[in-house]
Parts: sequence; structure tokens; C-alpha cells
Amino acid sequence: MSKVYVLGGAQTDFERNWKKEGKNMVALLKEVIADGLADAGITLDDVKALNKDNRVACFVGNFIAEKYTEQGHLGAFLTEVDPAFYGVPSARYEAACASSSVAIDAAQTKIMADEYDLAIVVGWELMKTVDSKLGGDFLGRAAYYKKEGEGIDLPFPKLFGKLADETLKKYPELDEKRYMDALARISVINYENAKRNPLAQTRKWFMSFEQASTRGTDTNPLVGGKLAVSDCSQVTDGAAVVVLCSEKFMKEHGIKNKPVIKGYGHRVAPMLFDKKMADNADSDYVLPWTRQTVLDAYKRSGLTVDDIDCFETHDCFTSSEYAAISSFGITAPGHEYEAIENGTIAFGGNKPINPSGGLIGCGHPVGASGARMFLDLYKQVTGKAGEYQIENVKNAMMLNIGGSATTNYVYIVGME
Amino acid sequence: MKASVVTVVGATGTMGANVAGIFASFGNAKVYCVARDIEKVKKTIPRIVKSVRADSISKNLIPADFSMLEKCVSDSDIVFESAAENIEVKKDVHSKIAKALQPHAVACTGTSGLSITTLAECYPENLRSHFFGVHMFNPPYNMPLCEFTPTKYSDRELAEELKAYLKNKLFRTVVEVKDSPAFLGNRIGFQFINEALQYAEKYKDNGGIDYIDALLGSFTGRAMAPLVTSDFVGLDVHKAIVDNLYENTNDYAHETFILPDFVQKLVEEKKLGRKSGMGLYQTIRYDNGLKRNTVLDLNTGFYRDVIPYVFPFASKMKKFIKEGDYAKAFERLVNNRSQEAEICLSFLLKYIVYSLYATEEVGYTIEAADDVMATGFNWCPPLAMYQALSTVADVPALIRERLPEICGKVDIDKLLAYMKPSKYDYRLYFKSGR
Repeated sequence: MSKVYVLGGAQTDFERNWKKEGKNMVALLKEVIADGLADAGITLDDVKALNKDNRVACFVGNFIAEKYTEQGHLGAFLTEVDPAFYGVPSARYEAACASSSVAIDAAQTKIMADEYDLAIVVGWELMKTVDSKLGGDFLGRAAYYKKEGEGIDLPFPKLFGKLADETLKKYPELDEKRYMDALARISVINYENAKRNPLAQTRKWFMSFEQASTRGTDTNPLVGGKLAVSDCSQVTDGAAVVVLCSEKFMKEHGIKNKPVIKGYGHRVAPMLFDKKMADNADSDYVLPWTRQTVLDAYKRSGLTVDDIDCFETHDCFTSSEYAAISSFGITAPGHEYEAIENGTIAFGGNKPINPSGGLIGCGHPVGASGARMFLDLYKQVTGKAGEYQIENVKNAMMLNIGGSATTNYVYIVGME
Repeated sequence: MKASVVTVVGATGTMGANVAGIFASFGNAKVYCVARDIEKVKKTIPRIVKSVRADSISKNLIPADFSMLEKCVSDSDIVFESAAENIEVKKDVHSKIAKALQPHAVACTGTSGLSITTLAECYPENLRSHFFGVHMFNPPYNMPLCEFTPTKYSDRELAEELKAYLKNKLFRTVVEVKDSPAFLGNRIGFQFINEALQYAEKYKDNGGIDYIDALLGSFTGRAMAPLVTSDFVGLDVHKAIVDNLYENTNDYAHETFILPDFVQKLVEEKKLGRKSGMGLYQTIRYDNGLKRNTVLDLNTGFYRDVIPYVFPFASKMKKFIKEGDYAKAFERLVNNRSQEAEICLSFLLKYIVYSLYATEEVGYTIEAADDVMATGFNWCPPLAMYQALSTVADVPALIRERLPEICGKVDIDKLLAYMKPSKYDYRLYFKSGR
């Protein structure tokens, strides 16, 4: 079984609005694939040559282009990017906001199985093609649409608002103000981190603890239960590419010092939010399957939380990042606020989360987010994160979730 | 450098209000918002809050009028003047600030073109070293450019501290420029826009204003066509900038700063652009919600419907840009020899040359040209434009071929010798639309 190496990749500037630029998904894909291959040191001629021997494949992560851009059959769609992709095996993978993580999983599996030597993973979503109300309805399909989405205004903020309520219910000793302030701090940390990331959506935006903790105002309206706009990631256009390869490919090309995938986890929790909560009754964790996914990755890699130097998590809402803190093992369940209050998860902290700015700061083009996080792990462990580089990162971990923490994906990337 | 209390003078103006918002939000400073009429200031506060999308800053905004100026200044670490763009008005304001400015404090002017040195001389010698030009662009929340101008009197250490504050605390793109008329961004930008206005007159039989805009639209690396931009900023502001440049600078592009007569006439008639309902363009809104875009016809003097021009080279470029085929789009531009394509390309090449030329005169590094145009105008910056065209052509050869007159006046090889790769991605700026 081959090890799986990460050669490089790229993301688009998440500040961009492709509809306003008058550009379609072909333009998005052309740009990100050109940049991703260049970073990985791969040319289109390399792709053609490898394809003669059926050694290269493409894996596309996208949630719901059928709605946003009226386009399906997205694996095959890469042939529109360049004729070099004619004949290259390629398919689209979908697991809501974890779509590109499942694409990465398919890619690593084919490499581990010695089927292919090079895998190009592309995650993308164009979301600014419609207004936020209609887009919110589209996203409702990541939940059980008929029961949790249809006819509901912005279903996802409401589901993650419920996660905040359930967290308070689960830990009765947790003071509500302390919890809500911790959520506000999560938002502020992500916005601050995004200021260092030249590709982050919110890099010019203003956020402060006071703004984030004063909910229910004109500029910070409530959108789901206790959660306000400052607790949410925003509608984003974007794409991310990561290029993976086999040990054989590394040897053939004399490539050295590239990180490997050390472990992964993939678990699925009950689809319906209420069933998910009923299911956690016997667990100390509010999202036990999320925790289990992290444990699986630790087990596969032979690492523990002590070995992880930085994290990228799925802060689609502040309440999901809060739950991730104990899932990673940074604190005991119910004590997540400690890591927020004492600076553990801040940029200069011991266990920094989302140096990129995360979904709240960097942006959340849903089908691209898994690949974007994975790319950031690659950047951190290879010292390529520029101004948002964390010092001495040997191993980095990501958590990407789909739906209301229904699909859970974890990867650990590190140097050998 | 302390920056916990700031006074903004002229806080009801567009720039004054927006700058107050930047100090109160990113700077988390207490900001005295000073203007003639305190009631007007109070009405401006919600607009300031909205400009940075944060109700939480309203507690930082304190309305005041000129009778309270001395008290505000004496309590302030930074005083930012954003009064009317008139040297006498500004001198008067700074003389008043000088009386109350604390020994540790910094005073700045937001002037977009007047002499910083002259204004520094409103201060007694011990405070002159604390005076700087801090020119932000509108709206500063989206346009982070800040042109920073120390004078010969300035305290260098304090200058560095203020620059660091603007960069690290207020998240500005700080570009140090010399005390030269209109500084750098407006000199480059309005050279382009004013020459486009001159071309509108020259090509009035082809359509004039909308004809020129149609061939220098967003597909040429900008958010807004140049004459729409002029209408948007106001023809009076446009006139002030180019008149200042024509009177007080003298370079190879001198003649391109002459304001065309038809614009002078519009200014006299108070048809100043979008803010007065008509100018180069006029949008007519009907009761049923429909609107009609009209443009001044330079032959008849009347407003007529904007013509949906179809230029084959432009249509092709837009089609290619839509699919991300930038090189193919530039190839069209370079190889199409229609009058329209030639005008378009010549403007882009002139823009590169003039940017480098002006930057050598007004800036300190070649990158300054890129920073000002990308972060102050949202135009594809000149080094990135050079890179874009270089994907399909030998740009120096193209400049020699298409701009023989300019090549006779400036040493192109010397100017291009310092060319560097841009840190900006040209792809963002070329749009497929109007």
C-alpha cells in the first residue's frame, strides 16, 4: 500500500465575486487548476503523459452546482478546462459542505491501492449567483430538506443556533454569558487571523469583541436562535486544488520533503438534527460522532493531540468551532471556553485553530472548504503560509463537516 | 505613538465621515467629529456607523462643532483635517488646530492635492515636525490606499510610528509619496481619465462620451469605465485635480491635463455628475420603476440614449475573459487593427508608461505605482498590466510601435529597466461585462 504525499495546490482569492466579474465556472476552474498544478510542479504535458498509462485521475468536490449554476456532471466538466483532461478518469463527489473531503478520500484511496500515481482534487462552489435567501434555501438540502429545510428562512443558521442551545443544555454548569462571549471571541479570532491571509474573504472587514458580542443590532442582526451575523461564515465564491501523489511518483521524479497524509477519519451522524441530539445522551460530547472521527484519525496516525501543532476547523458557525475544541481533545467536553479565554486557540497560542481565518474569516465556498483546509495544512507543515504561518508545525489537523455535523471528515497532514 | 483620541475636522463631508469611521473602528479611538453644524454631525453619525457596518463604534463617535475645536484638539493624540479642498480654508483650520495641539500629538491633512509643506507652515516650529499628509481614498472601507507624505520639517521617527499605526492598526496600504500636486494615485488615474475625456471630444462624431467608455470598459482592467468614474467622483472634483496638475506640474503628458471645454461648461452649469443628477451621463427614472441611461451628445448638447456599441475586438475579449482565457483576450486586443482596438491598446500602454514615469517623480519605489492603482482605484495596476500584455506580446516593442510620440519624449528603455513582477493578480481586474 502506497503512502500518499501532498505535492501542493492553490486556492482562489475568496474575496472575488465571479458573477460581478462576469466569469463562469470554466474561468474559475481554469484559474485554480493552472495555479494548483504550477504550485505542485506539474504541467499539463505531465498530465497527458501520465494519462497514456492511466496513472492520473481527477476528483471533484462540489455540493450543489445543479442549483447555483444549473450544471451537473462536474467530473466530466474538467474537459472544458483543457484538452489535457480528455480521457482522464474524473468524477464528482458530494457530501454537502464536506464534498471536497470525500473527493480527497477517494483520491487517497486510489493512490494507496496503487491504482493511480497522481490525483488532482478540485473543490469548488459559486454561491453568489443567487441572492442569500434563495442560496440559503439551496443549502437546506444539506439537512433533511423536507423536514428541516423546505419553507424555512435560512435553515442552517437556525440548526446551528439550536446547536448553541443544546450545548448550554448539555452542560448546565456552563454560564450562558460565558458561552456567548466565548462564541464572540471565536468570531473575533477568525476575523483577526483573516487579516494575515491575502486570499481571505473578510481581510478588509471590521470586527471587534464588542461588535460580535452585541447581538441583535442593525449591523449584527440575529439569524438563528442566539446566533447573529457575526457568528456565521458568509456566502463565498471560490475553489481550491490539492495535488496528491504516490511514493512511486516521488521516487520517479526525485521529489523530496513533501508531507504525507498521516491519518484520516470519516463518520456519519444521524441526518436529522433532533436525532443527532437524542443520540448524544450517553456521551459527554454534544457531537459524539465528530469526536469519534477525530479519534479514528489519531488512531490511524498513531498520534495524539499533543503531536498536533495547528488546526483548521469547520467554523461554519461559532457554535460548531466551539464543539470542535473538545472534539480535537484540546479540552475536556464542557470546558471548551477555557481554551478560548486563556488564548490556547489564538494565533499565538499553544493549539492555534484556523490561522487562515477559517470559514468565518477566510470564507466558505461550501464545496471548496475541505480542499481549502487541506491546502492550509499543507502550507503550514511546509512553511508556506506566509504571514499566517505558525512556527514549527510538524503535524496539522483539519475537521470538515457536512450538514449539521452529519458527515464528519478529519485529516492529519505532516512531515515524515 | 498614542492614538486613543482623535479629532476629525470636517466630519460631515464624505471623506471626513468615512475616515472618522476608520479611526473609530479599526483604531478603536474616541473620535471627536467636528463640523460647522453640530446637528448635521449628529445626523452623519449613523452614516459613519454604516460605513464600517458596526453599531458598536457609535459610542466612539462624539459630535462637536467649531466652537469646541480647541477643546477637542487639546484632548487629542491625532488631529485629522478633512475640510473643503481650498488652501485658505485649510490654512485657517490648521492655524486654529496649531493653537491647541498637544506637544506629543500628530496633525494630518487629508488633502487630495494641496501642498503639505505650505500647510505645515501653519504650525509653530516645535509642532511642524508633527505634521503629515494622510490621503485616503473613497470609500476607505473598500479602498485601503493611504498616501503618506512627510515634509522637510517632519520628525522621521514619528513618521515611521505613524506609518506603522496606519498599516498595522488601521489596515491601510501605506504608500509614501512626495509632496507633489495630486500625489501619485490621482496623478496617474486622472491623467488617464482626462485624456479619455479629450478623446471623447476628439471622437464626438463616433459617439463621444459613451463611445470612449465602451472601448475602455471593465474588460480593460477596471471596475468602472473612466468617464463613468469621472461622473461618479464629480466633475468639479475632476476639474480641481486636473487644473492643479496642469498648473503645477510639467511633464511629457502636460497637454493631457487640459480640461475639455465641454466639461468646463458642465461645471459652470452645475451639472456635476451623479451627485447633481446629470453630468456626462443622466439616468432618468420613471414612476413605474424603469430607468433610462442617457449620455450627453457632444454634437447636439442634448442627452440621448446610451448606444450599445458592438466592437468586434471588445466582444471577443469579453467572451474570452468570461471563460478565463485571458491570453486569448489580450491577443485579440494586440492583433486587431480597428480604430477602436488601437485606441484601447494605446490607452493601456500609455497608462503603463505614465505610471512608471510619475512614480519615478512622486514615489520612492516602482511598486508604489501598483499599490496606488490597485488599492486606490481598483484598476489593474501598471506592473500587472505589463505582465498581462506580456503573455502575448513583447511589450517594450509594442510601446515603441504604438506610442512613437511618447517614445520621442521619454527614455522608454530606462523607464522599463526597473520593471518588476507585480504582486497583484491581473486576472481579477479584467471583467467580462460592460
